[in-house]
Amino acid sequence: MDRIEKKILELNRLQDIQQRSHWMNNLHPLGKLLISVIYIFLVTSIDKYDIVTLILMSVYVIFTFIIGELSVKEGIYRMRLILPLVLFVGIFNPFFDKSSVPVAGFAVRGGIVSMLTLVIKGLYTVFAVYALIATTSIDDICYALRSIRVPKIIVIVIMLIYRYIDVMAGEVDRIYTAYRLRAPGQKGIEYRSWGTLVGQWLLRSMDKAQIVYESMLLRGFKGDFIPKKKGIKKIDVIYPLVWAIVLLLIRLHVFGI
Amino acid sequence: MKTGVNGELLNIDGLSFSYEKDSVVLKDISFKANYGESIALVGANGIGKSTLMKLMVGLYLNYTGNITVAGHEMCKKNLNHIREHIGYVFQDSDSQLFLSTVEDDVAFGPRNYGLSEKEVEERVTEALRLVGIERLRNNKTYKLSGGEKKLSAIATILSMKPDIIIMDEPSIALDPRNRKNLIKVLTGIGGLKIIASHDLDFVRNICERTILLDEGTIVADGRTEDVLGDEKLLEEHGL
Repeated sequence: MDRIEKKILELNRLQDIQQRSHWMNNLHPLGKLLISVIYIFLVTSIDKYDIVTLILMSVYVIFTFIIGELSVKEGIYRMRLILPLVLFVGIFNPFFDKSSVPVAGFAVRGGIVSMLTLVIKGLYTVFAVYALIATTSIDDICYALRSIRVPKIIVIVIMLIYRYIDVMAGEVDRIYTAYRLRAPGQKGIEYRSWGTLVGQWLLRSMDKAQIVYESMLLRGFKGDFIPKKKGIKKIDVIYPLVWAIVLLLIRLHVFGI
Repeated sequence: MKTGVNGELLNIDGLSFSYEKDSVVLKDISFKANYGESIALVGANGIGKSTLMKLMVGLYLNYTGNITVAGHEMCKKNLNHIREHIGYVFQDSDSQLFLSTVEDDVAFGPRNYGLSEKEVEERVTEALRLVGIERLRNNKTYKLSGGEKKLSAIATILSMKPDIIIMDEPSIALDPRNRKNLIKVLTGIGGLKIIASHDLDFVRNICERTILLDEGTIVADGRTEDVLGDEKLLEEHGL
């Protein structure tokens, strides 16, 4: 199986997780979106030397991963793009920041602590976003965005990008497979073919995207996705509210740590 | 259901169309179609069947001649009304199914036309029942087989309760069992059906009227058994 096929399967697998029957998936998307945003905001606002508070903030991701039955391996896998970047940004801290910071009674070099907090913040942020997208479909996320009055045009763009990613990935897969089958023994795509293949890919993707769009138009699409209206249950309010309070208390050091 | 002056649901009169100035795709096409009819559009590849169907649903408006659908003249301001009456099943069902689950996709049209959630629910249930795929309601669209995708695509149109259903090569890439099932489904659907197909046996099973196109014009329009029974005519026009 080539890499493109793997990516398509990965996308499909994510859709499977989004649509499973689990109480976290059934929560109102607005609550999940808001609590994710609040969590990311609170985590990123923690002082660079305040590693203890940061460790306490892990309670949210641990809870969502365990209770939500999400795979930590998958979550870490999602980190593969962001982690090198975070490491690159933080790697110089130990060299430049030579101050001494007390951590649990020990004096530790400030640069090392700030590098660690940066990595942990990156980790939490990605985990929180993964927890959100693994329990909420793109339609629901867009529904939540529209509920908080995010401009229609932005939401539509997000939805259409998501739709067309699939279309474009499918075309890449078909073109690459057709190429591979007629170029056995060749590693990758020969540089002379790149121009034609990319051109073909764009033209075919545009054609296919046009059909998808026409199909939407013919079924009454007038520039806005009209989602199924979701009722709000008690748990939809309690869940984000409890988390918002707990996270805020941790962030404000109310527990005295 | 609104119809034209003479009771016809679809009236095409002197229709000509070209994508580019010097290459005419359709020349002086005229025919009328009534509620309850099943019409096949047959012809060799590239003679303009798909273009003609796209014109009928208003995807191209830069034509000459007249198209009237359910009493509405085809023009930009009437498109919304017209599209409530006419459904188009694309050749490639993959492109027609763009939402995550079958239910969402079938509900897409009714929701866009502002129906209440209760009505949407009823329409979805009815459409899925008509094509016999109630069991696929919560299935993911990307996981469906070719035959299931085709039936789901038809359900997405049926949920809008159109008077006219236009289908582009519906039997393509279907195995014999799914093909047979599709014939059963299509014969059970009311309204006006216009089906473009190269599958002449399929056409014989469903359509009582056939329009043969060649070089952008209608060369024969009559009873299916007469048109498809004339082997010389078919051969002359690339079939």
